[in-house]
This record gives sequence, C-alpha cells and structure tokens, in this order.
Amino acid sequence: MSTTRRLFLKAGGVALFTLGAGPQFLARAAGAVLNPSGRRKVLVTIFQRGAMDGLAAVAPVDEPALRSLRPRLAMTAARSAEESALLDLGVGFGVHPSFAPLLPFWKEGRLGIVHAVGSPDSTRSHFDAQDYMETGTPGRKGTPSGWLNRAVGLLGHEGSPFRAVALTPALPRSFYGDEPAIAVTDLADFRVSPSSPKEGGGFEALYRQTNQPVLRQTADETFRAMSMLTPETVARYRPANGAVYPATPLGQALRQIALLVKSDVGLEVAFAESAGWDTHVQQGTVNGTFARQSRDLAQSIQAFWTDLGARQDDVLLTTMTEFGRTVKENGSGGTDHGHGSCLFVLGNRVDGGKVHGTFPGLTPDALFEGRDLPVTTDFRSVFCELAGKHLGIQDDAALFPGWTGRRLPLLKTA
Amino acid sequence: MRATAKVLLPIAALSLALPHLGSPASPAGTAEPRQSISPSSSSIHLPWKQAGLTDREAAAHLLNRFAYGPRPGEIDAVVKMGLDRWFERQLAAGLPDGPLDARLKELPALRMTAAEIARTYPPPGRLLVEARRAGVVTWDGETADLSDAAGPETDARREMRDAVQAWAAKQGYRTQKELGAQLVAQKLWRAVESENQLAEVMTDFWFNHFNVSLTDNQSRSHVLSYERDAIRPNALGSVRTLLEATAKHPAMLLYLDNAQSAATDDAPRTFTPRRKPMQEMDGQMGEIMRRLRPQGLNENYARELLELHTLGVDAGYTQQDVIEVARAFTGWSLLPTGARREAMERRLDQAGRRGAMGRAGFEREGEFLFRADQHDAAAKTVLGTKLAAGRGMEDGEQVLDLLAIHPATARHLATKIAVRFVSDTPPKALVDRLAAVYLQSRGEIRPVLRALAESPEFWSRDAVAAKIKSPFELAASSLRGLGAEVDDPRDTVRWVSDMGQRLYAYQAPTGFPDRAEAWVNTGSLLSRMNFGLQLAAGRVRGVDLDLAALNGGREPAGRREALNDYAARLLPGRDLKPALALLEPAVADPELPKKVDRSTAVEQVVGVILGSPEFQRR
Repeated sequence: MSTTRRLFLKAGGVALFTLGAGPQFLARAAGAVLNPSGRRKVLVTIFQRGAMDGLAAVAPVDEPALRSLRPRLAMTAARSAEESALLDLGVGFGVHPSFAPLLPFWKEGRLGIVHAVGSPDSTRSHFDAQDYMETGTPGRKGTPSGWLNRAVGLLGHEGSPFRAVALTPALPRSFYGDEPAIAVTDLADFRVSPSSPKEGGGFEALYRQTNQPVLRQTADETFRAMSMLTPETVARYRPANGAVYPATPLGQALRQIALLVKSDVGLEVAFAESAGWDTHVQQGTVNGTFARQSRDLAQSIQAFWTDLGARQDDVLLTTMTEFGRTVKENGSGGTDHGHGSCLFVLGNRVDGGKVHGTFPGLTPDALFEGRDLPVTTDFRSVFCELAGKHLGIQDDAALFPGWTGRRLPLLKTA
Repeated sequence: MRATAKVLLPIAALSLALPHLGSPASPAGTAEPRQSISPSSSSIHLPWKQAGLTDREAAAHLLNRFAYGPRPGEIDAVVKMGLDRWFERQLAAGLPDGPLDARLKELPALRMTAAEIARTYPPPGRLLVEARRAGVVTWDGETADLSDAAGPETDARREMRDAVQAWAAKQGYRTQKELGAQLVAQKLWRAVESENQLAEVMTDFWFNHFNVSLTDNQSRSHVLSYERDAIRPNALGSVRTLLEATAKHPAMLLYLDNAQSAATDDAPRTFTPRRKPMQEMDGQMGEIMRRLRPQGLNENYARELLELHTLGVDAGYTQQDVIEVARAFTGWSLLPTGARREAMERRLDQAGRRGAMGRAGFEREGEFLFRADQHDAAAKTVLGTKLAAGRGMEDGEQVLDLLAIHPATARHLATKIAVRFVSDTPPKALVDRLAAVYLQSRGEIRPVLRALAESPEFWSRDAVAAKIKSPFELAASSLRGLGAEVDDPRDTVRWVSDMGQRLYAYQAPTGFPDRAEAWVNTGSLLSRMNFGLQLAAGRVRGVDLDLAALNGGREPAGRREALNDYAARLLPGRDLKPALALLEPAVADPELPKKVDRSTAVEQVVGVILGSPEFQRR
C-alpha cells in the first residue's frame, strides 16, 4: 500500500490529497461529499429463479379447494405448538414453516406480503417470464435495458462506482443498460492480481494519463472503488448482532451486500438470486425441495436484517419470482408452471403484518385458464411503489415504459 | 420476389437425403465462403497515404479492425504483400486454413446436423427422464434437484448425478456443457488462428446482430448450428440470405417464439384439416388440445425483425406493421422432437409423394417446417405493400425481400458497420455513402466493406485506435500478439466472461452493445488488467506461450529494455514514444525489490503492457 493516495471525487471535481489515511476514512470522506448524510437508501432485490410456488409459501388457511387439489402437498394451519404445519399469520393465511425465521419481522410490522402478484403476460416459459420481469416490459423482448438499471438512471444524482451491484457471476438482465453496474460473486476479487509491489499503482498512473475518456474515467472510478473496498476490509468483515448467514450462494450474497451497505461505499441498488424453485417433482411439505429452498431464503434474509442493525432504516428488501405454479399438484408430487405467485417486502417503513393485493380465492371460476392463481397485482405496481417511496423515483413511465397502471400502496409515507 | 431463384427440393428427397449427408444441411442457395470470389473485378485502393499514415501504421490499423489484431511479424508481412492485396484476400475469404481445420476436427459437434446435435446433447432434464425410464434412478426429492444446475450440492445428489452420467455416456449421450465448450472453443480457435480473419470478424458481427442466446433453454442446443449454418456461410454474402437463414433456423424460431406463432382463431388458414378443429372439441380432450396448441399470434420475432434486424428503431413503421409481419410469418416453425417427430416425418414423406400435406403447402427445409395449418392466409399489408390472400410460406419470404433492400435497413446496417469498424460515433457522410452502396448492391455485404476500407474516414487519424476492444477482442488480440497457442480455451473463455462478455449468452435480442461505455466499467476494467497480468505470468490455463521466443530469444538487460522490446512487439505500428513515457514509471519502480528474477520481471512488463490503456484500444 502506498502511503499517499490521491482520490478524485467526481462530484464537484474536487481532488483530495490525504496522507496515510485508511480506506474507511476515505470512504467516509467520499460519502461526505457525495451525500451530506453519508448514507444512501438501498433497494435490495432477490430473484427467486425457477418460479416459487406462492401457494406453498403463503397459503390461504380456509380454502377447501387447496386441500382437494393438493392431497399430498397442502398443509393445515397449526392447531398446537408441537404440530409442524403452516404458521398462521392470523389474517387468513399461513406461511410455510421454513419461513419461521421471518415471523418476528411480520409481527413487528416490517414484513409485508403481496399475493397473487406477477406479470400480465401469460407465458409459462422461465426464460421469457424472467426476461419480462427483469426488463419490466412484459411481452417485449427487445427492451435493451433492465428496470433496475433504469432505476439507477432515474436516481437523479451522481453515484459511486458501487451504486449498482449484483452478487452474481454475470450481469443480470435487470442491470443491462446505460448505467454502470458491477457483477461480482466475491468482493475479495476486487483487486489487481497478481499484486505487484505497487498494488494497482502502476495501472493507476497509466490510466490517469490516457487520452481515451471512457478508460480514464472508468479507471478513476475503479481505483476509487478499490480504495473504498480494500481486501482487508473484505477479509475483516464480521456480521454484527450475532447474525449467522447460511453457507449458501444466497447467504453469502446477502452477507456481502450487508458489507457494502455498512461500508458506506455508495450502494443504492443490489441484486441477488436464489435458484432451485422449479419444483416439478417431490416438492414436499415440511421437508423436501420447497422446504429447503424456503429455509435458505428465510435464514439468509433473517441474517441480513439482523446484521444490518441500525442500518435497517436505509434498506428495503424485496423478493420476486417469474411466475407461480399450478394450484393442482401433478403426478410426481410437484407442481407445474403457473401464473400468479407472492412476494415478500421487508423494511422499517413497510406497511407490514398484512397480505396486500387481492387474493381471488381458488374456486374453479377464479382460476386463470382454469388452473392457476391469477395475477391480480401487476409486479410493476409493487416495484414502482418501492422505487418511488424508497429511492425517490417519481417517473413511473420512464421506469416502466408503456405501463399506465398504478402503484400498490405498501410503504408508509414518512 | 428475390432475384436469386430458390430451389425447393421435393420433401421426400430432402428427408431421404438428409440422414446420409456428411455435412450439415445448409439453407438452399447459400454459398460456402471459401469457394466464392470477390465480386469486384477492379482492384482495391486503400487511401492510407492520403490520410498521412505510414505503411506500418496503416497495416496495424487494418489488422486491428478487419482482424483480431496482428500476430508477431504480421505487420511487416502485410506491408510486404501490400495492404490492398491483403484486404482483397480477406474479402474473398478463401485462404487455406489447414492447421485450424485439423484442430477443429477435435470438436465432434461441428460435424453433426442440427438434429444430431439435439439428439446427442440432450438437456439435463430430458436425460433424467430417460434415465428414470431405464430404471437407473428412481424419483425422489434429491433426483429432482439434478435437473436444476443451481441446486445445493449433496452427497446423494452427487451420487445420483454420477449414476445418470455413467448411464448417459453408455448410451452415447454427451452433456450440454460439453456442447457449449465446443461452441466457445471453435470461436476462440478461429479468431486466434484462422487466416480468414475478416470472415471471423463478420461472423461475430452478424451473430451479434441476429443474436440468440445460450441463456434460453429452448434454443441452447441450436446455437452452434445457428452460427455454423445460418451465420458463418453468409457473413460476407447477402443480407437477404442472412435474413432467411436466421428466420428459418430453430435457434431463432425458438428464441423469439415464432415457432409458436399461429393464425388467430378467426383467420382463414392456408390449410384447414378436415377433422373438427381442436378448439371446437368438447370435454376434457378439447381442453387439453386447446392448451397444447400454439397460443395464437406471437409478435416477438416480427417486432425484432423490424426493430433490430432490418429497419431499426423509429424507422417509421407502426404497431400495425408489426402485426401484419407477424401474420406473414405464422406457421414458420420447426420439426417437433421425440416421437412426434417420427410421426411428422412419416406424414411429410407422404406429402412428398404429393399427399395431402404437400398439396396443403407444408414445406420442410432441414429442421425448418412451414406449417400450412397455422398460417394466416388472409391478405396483409406490410409497409404499404399488399400481400395477396391465400398464400403460404411466400408471405414471409416476400416480407424479407421488402426489408432487405429497404432504405431504412440500409441506413441501420451502414451505421452499425461503421460503428464496428470506424468509431462509436461515425461521421454521417460515411454512413450515407455506405447506405448508398448497400442499396446499389441490393444488400451485398462485400461492396459495403470495400467502400468502408476505401473511405478517408476509416483512415482518419481520429479513427485510429478509437475503438475499445470487446473482452473477446482483447483476449484474441492478446493471444495473437503473444504468438500463443491455445490448447484448452476454457480458462481464457472464463476470463472473457469475467471481463463482461459471456460468449453466446447475451440474453437480449439486441446483442452486446458495441460502444466503449458498455464494454468498460469498474468491475470489468479491473478484470482486463488482471487478465493481462495473469496471461503474461502463464497463469491462464491451457495457453502455451514463450515470452523469450517472442523477443527473438534475446533476454532484455533490464526492465526498461524489456519494456522497449515488448512494447514494440505488442503495440506494433503505433507511435511508442508517448506510450513508453507512460509505461516506464509503471514498471520501473525504485521501491521494487532489487532481486526480482528476470523472467518474473519480463512477465510483469508484458502484463502491464497487455493491461494498459493502449492495449485496450484497437
């Protein structure tokens, strides 16, 4: 590490010269100029790939149709503490027992659920439905940008190189677009390697002097980012408040998002994903594929929220999945591709402890194409609400081109 | 109608001939590039001298744009041969490629038909179903996870997977991962080794233009044959041929959903089966049939055909045009898989003997199947041109005729080509000229490239090194510059992904955006620097390089000498003085330990050159 490091700040074009300063100090300095509070609002999104069975996650408790259509999969609400069954939310729904770690947040009123949510497009292809949810333009494949990238562009202020980060091996479709975004699975990789005695120093000087503007500016941001997030910062990170993340890809992704939030590096939109929700076969009840996936999701979110501690006020987390699954179970003890599903929203301003949206019931005439939970809430109504109230993005038409729907009220106004 | 006559083989002859063909079926009327000759008889004159470039600068520019960068000694060879002649030979694309061809023989999928590929490399889900039928595995929760590549790794899962794999290997099945590895391997090998560099660059260009993606499960197994059969043979040919070849290929038919696009219920069809239409069937059977049949009109292909492949966004067409084009392409589909395929093939054989299907207007070309029973036979109006009622496959073909030589298409493609070869913001005069040449030649690609290379804008000092290399271009040009041998491309390809370009896996139909801001961001720039350092240090697996040999076996006396020597070799034809002034402090650091052994020092110097801003540009 060189003793002198020059830090260019884009905002105001001020150059700071610091002597022997540690990266934390620099990060704070950067934050101080970029944002007087030194903190940013952060939207954390988790994409559950494979299509989560919304009716297994959050089931209506008094719905005889569910029991008859799902003889092997339906669970009843617990009548006693010993019985492992649905955890009754007291509002006509019960959550799968694997979501138990999230129950305290529900009781505290920070966790909200939106049911019968999804895309107006009826495709049952994972690829197409994920594409449509990530571009935010159902039915249109050619939209070049993803909705989260557009959200970053609509934030209306200069940002840090870490403003949009996906903890994924490749840039997700949600992040395609004009705004710079980072895809990284391990923040420890964020360095020059093999490290020369000068670290990035040699390259830093080289790129500072190139006459190619994109290379020069990006390198400036890159080395700024490196100074904010040194290998030591990453290696030293310990979750707070006794939070224990599962040793799964999702758990580790959320752990690193918490690190970014708490390091004040300017994170504003984060993306993580959870795979394995395509439960065609032996979906299971208390145990099985669905239970395992749900447990991972719930434990990861619980650890993340606990770890955030005082920073919870800055963060809003939402899950999403491309579609739901058939109401009727199939011949292999699983469910097939359906339509509507549900999603979870967690944050201190969430109007929590409620199941939002309109649950249409499961009578034959209520079902979409006679088989699936219909979509009564367009996912864009949810995303607009979150981006609008949490990130201050007011231009819904720019966020979701071609959409003229209305926001679903989910967050309390400050 | 289009100018070239199209020969439609009788379907019986096709289906008989296909299984015996050694080489993959290619769309009728396409020419192999190696047999074709540059269409122009007059010789080429590249105006680099007028632009004030030296011969060596010009040769470097040429190799950075129409090839994947210079190989050791290649600048001098091109100057000696003559730049005009080099370009002419690249346009003709008929240079022998013996060593490369020998290497490509290691990749069996390249020699299989599209159907053979789909059979040999089944998706994991289908493999599991068959393994279960064969009694190799029984269903339980863990087995189900096998088809989900991202599921958690457990012992049971591993055991089951090994069992399935062992069984699959015995059946002659190979994994889709292997297929993907062959796809990226051939791309890297060709880019690094092929003598016909322009053909490779243009294959890359057109694949990206007519993008399909490995991220799409359905089209995944068709991506290799798509590039091989639809793109590569036509990369220097005509746009009309490219349009039809891509429109009829399973990869595109599935990726943009045209395979499931059918006439709406109220429309007349080219062929209506005599049996009761399924939508009128009663009871449960009718319900099932209604769910299985195509879901009506799907506009995805039509929209992207207009917006991305031909006219371009905001080119004046309307939503009604999109619908009319979608109607024209209803029934453009593909042969089904599995048992239904055999049944269909039998019926098509009958059709070839002038049975009902032949008379009804069904047509088969390779995997492509025109389904007369799904085609909307009512009259249509596309961009003001009337298509008469009662027709079949010729509706879609006529739409391609119209689009291929439309002025908006000429402009759109001229702009894209100029962006690829000149700069992110090409001069309008150049684009106008290229568009005019495009229209004059009725959509031939060679005359446009020639006009580009003969333009003063291409040779302008402002254009030299103005483009940022894509990650793939960076990797290929590094390997070429080092004179490296790639024995196993996988690790290099992983680096290309890390630098932000997952090959063949851009999810959106737009293809990768081709401009500096899209290629360079905080994460990917760091990966670029690291790639240079790792490659030079011999830490990119599967790459064989000899830095001493690159310097003629001479060992530089020190860091400064190493920098002078290797910068001259890796950045040939560039003015090195400013580059060296910048690079010198980067490698000559007084803080460095005095005793760094010489090979390490050379590796560091070369790594810094490859990771430098200069080397990111072409």
